[in-house]
Amino acid sequence: MPVRVVETTSPSHSSGQDLSSAQPSPPSCSLLCAGRSFCGTQNVSSLQKDEAWKVNVRIQGCDIEHGFLCGTMEALNVPLADTPVVTFWEGEIVDAKNHTFFTGKWEATPEDDIRHWSKFPSFTPLLSQIEDDGGKSLDLSNYPYIFMRWKEQYFVNVGADCGLTIAGFYYVCFSCTDGSISGFYYDPNSSPFQKLELKCMNAKPGGFSFSSYELV
Amino acid sequence: MPATAAVAPPPTAPEQLAARLSSGDSDESLLPTLREIKNQIIGNRTKKLLYLRLRAVPKIVALLSSSSSPSPVIVQAAAAVGSFACGVEEGVRAVLDASSVPHLTVLLSHPDAKVVDSAARSLRIIFQSKLAPKYDFLLEENKTFLLSLLNSTNENITELAASIVAHSCEKPTEQTSLCDAGVVQKLVSLLGGSSNQRDTSLDAISAIVKNNPEVATKFVSISNGKAFNSLMGLMQDRYPRTRLLACVCLISIEQAFPVYFQEMQIKTKLILILLDLIEEAGRVGDEAPFVLKGLIGESEELHRQALSVTAAERLCGYLRKGKAVLEARRLEGILLVLAELGSKLEQSRAQLIELQVPSLIIDLLKHDCAQVRVAACHVIKNISRSLKHLCAGRFGSESIVMPLVQLLCDSSTSVQTAALDAICNVAVNLTTKKSVLLQSGGVSILCQLARSMHSEVRLKSVRALRNLMFLLDRKDKDLIFTELTVSTLTILISDPDPLVQEHALALAGNFVDGSGVSTKFIFSEDISIIDAVSRQLKGECSPGMCIQGMFFLANMAAENESQKDAVMDCILPTSLDLAISPPNSFLVTFLQSKERLLRLSTLWCLINLVNPDQRNSLRVSALQGAGIISQLKTMVNDPCLDCKLRVRMVLERCLENRE
Repeated sequence: MPVRVVETTSPSHSSGQDLSSAQPSPPSCSLLCAGRSFCGTQNVSSLQKDEAWKVNVRIQGCDIEHGFLCGTMEALNVPLADTPVVTFWEGEIVDAKNHTFFTGKWEATPEDDIRHWSKFPSFTPLLSQIEDDGGKSLDLSNYPYIFMRWKEQYFVNVGADCGLTIAGFYYVCFSCTDGSISGFYYDPNSSPFQKLELKCMNAKPGGFSFSSYELV
Repeated sequence: MPATAAVAPPPTAPEQLAARLSSGDSDESLLPTLREIKNQIIGNRTKKLLYLRLRAVPKIVALLSSSSSPSPVIVQAAAAVGSFACGVEEGVRAVLDASSVPHLTVLLSHPDAKVVDSAARSLRIIFQSKLAPKYDFLLEENKTFLLSLLNSTNENITELAASIVAHSCEKPTEQTSLCDAGVVQKLVSLLGGSSNQRDTSLDAISAIVKNNPEVATKFVSISNGKAFNSLMGLMQDRYPRTRLLACVCLISIEQAFPVYFQEMQIKTKLILILLDLIEEAGRVGDEAPFVLKGLIGESEELHRQALSVTAAERLCGYLRKGKAVLEARRLEGILLVLAELGSKLEQSRAQLIELQVPSLIIDLLKHDCAQVRVAACHVIKNISRSLKHLCAGRFGSESIVMPLVQLLCDSSTSVQTAALDAICNVAVNLTTKKSVLLQSGGVSILCQLARSMHSEVRLKSVRALRNLMFLLDRKDKDLIFTELTVSTLTILISDPDPLVQEHALALAGNFVDGSGVSTKFIFSEDISIIDAVSRQLKGECSPGMCIQGMFFLANMAAENESQKDAVMDCILPTSLDLAISPPNSFLVTFLQSKERLLRLSTLWCLINLVNPDQRNSLRVSALQGAGIISQLKTMVNDPCLDCKLRVRMVLERCLENRE
């Protein structure tokens, strides 16, 4: 499975803060950076029952230049598990350079892509420009939403035989205005359009704070 | 009939032999003395050093220039000089100090062929040493002389000429001058000669072509590409040394003239041949990995290609088979290639981790040779750039962390700094488990090193502490801070090195991120971190420092009322400022910066200051008075979307407050 490169040969590169102001800029937002936490729910309802899991997400790394980010996702009150289930995921940022709106893998066809992206109201103005080529010539640097795909890679604290699946991936829309996230899980073998809704969390009572690291 | 075996006479004492050299004779009576000295010193470092102490070299060199010395004496004297210079640095110095080079050079025109041969061989040995003088090719007479040597029918002399070129040719002007004089063509003709001629010629061609696109272009055009094809053929030569030198030569051409090598085929062949050569005995096997590292360099394409031909597996195989017995130089080279492979591509790192490289090289962190320890640290540093594996805790185990911590106390500074780089990455704990570094005594050592006189050590320790502090829980942050102390951090914030300042500010920012920051660390007795930060921000500082300083203030302003007040005191003009300049805060300058991240970090600080709470209206008025609100109003259409959104956030909050 393609794994995005994190370029860290320059000593001043930071995975937590982007010091470059080169143009044209890839889509970026200071609320989408390493250390940032989000919490909310994932709707896992099926025809049999309504169910929602509480979910906490933390961004662990972000490489805007290569359209890559990664983090962990913690699902609480999972019926099949005694403890919260944590997974590690890798994300692709749709930036027309590294990734387009067309997934091209994970059993998602362009029709599946458009169907899922269209569930986000913020995607509607872009639809006509992506139908042919997934939006290769789109400039998303000034668009107040960032679109991503998040794919869980492995279970961090439970075995792969825990009865849960990470076969699918999420179509994700991030709001640059307030850091809120919505997403839809796609897995041909699971209930369709399971919705993920997250809000940006403040670790501090009086505002937003930032933490960073730099790999050498 | 059995007969008594002949007994060889005991060797004459060096002191006696050296004394005979002082007799003033230069005739054939000295021949036995010279022969015996020569025989005693060949391959014997101890004897060479002894004769050096007995000042034998100047006496022998004097024989070279004496007009009364017969040819056999000169031959032996020249051979002895060459032997002194072979493999012993003190010997090289001694022969150079005794002016042997000009004397030997004169002998190249001697009527006796044996004298010429002996002088040429000795000069070649001298020019193999880095200490030998550089030959000035830009002098016309020198160039002419060199060409005359290359035109000689004497193999020793042509080899000498090539050695001189290999040793001395460095500057582009020299390279071009030699190329224009036809030296390259002469060297190419030697590629068809004896094995020694081929090898010295390859060395010389590499030196002339290196980093010189113009000369490289001319080389590949020689005889319609036949010279280049000869090099390609020599890659398959039966002698390993020739194969290695051919690879070096081709790599020099490739790096000077990459367009000629667009096809991957030649580069793949080079990779495979060099991988094979690593198995060869002696210097060839020791040097081959360094040549391979030079080839793949920083090219992602070549990294991928090397992986596709199982380079990683083969290198690991060499380590598994023989790391206990491999020469230090070869080990270092293999490790540096592995480090290079892990430096850029995530797929490479994943493969190296799958091959268990970290476990394979752990014991090499304790190798006797410092360069091997450094190279092993580089491998860990580069592989641990993998966020995926950092998150999986692959580099956080005791087996990796503890040896690295021990290297922080290594006697070699280069090992210390290499270990610091590796620790900087493994310190980023993205797992839920407690970092081993916190329990290993590593924190104390890092804090001590942050006080080092050596600026590189200080910088790397502060960087590692910053990374360690990332998202740590409050209790562990406080423990680290207690060890580091407020006064050390304030000193680092004002360090003479701007990079140290920047990372110290980032460290401070990480410390105050998260809730429950104890003010005892921020305002401690007469020392205040916030004062130190304020002084830096108001002075001349780099954008990087300002950005980290503003994120520190933003984090402070996200805590509680008293910390917001402290930030306000920091950013508002003081009475002194009012007396000497317009009453604007330095924040106005930051908001006007071309650096997007500086504007952003400043905006976040302001957002946190005007976060809706009790004393907001007072703060808004104060910001208004300092010119900040007016500046913000000019930024509603900032070209950066993120900045634009944050400007609106601040202004909306200010407006809410008024209502």
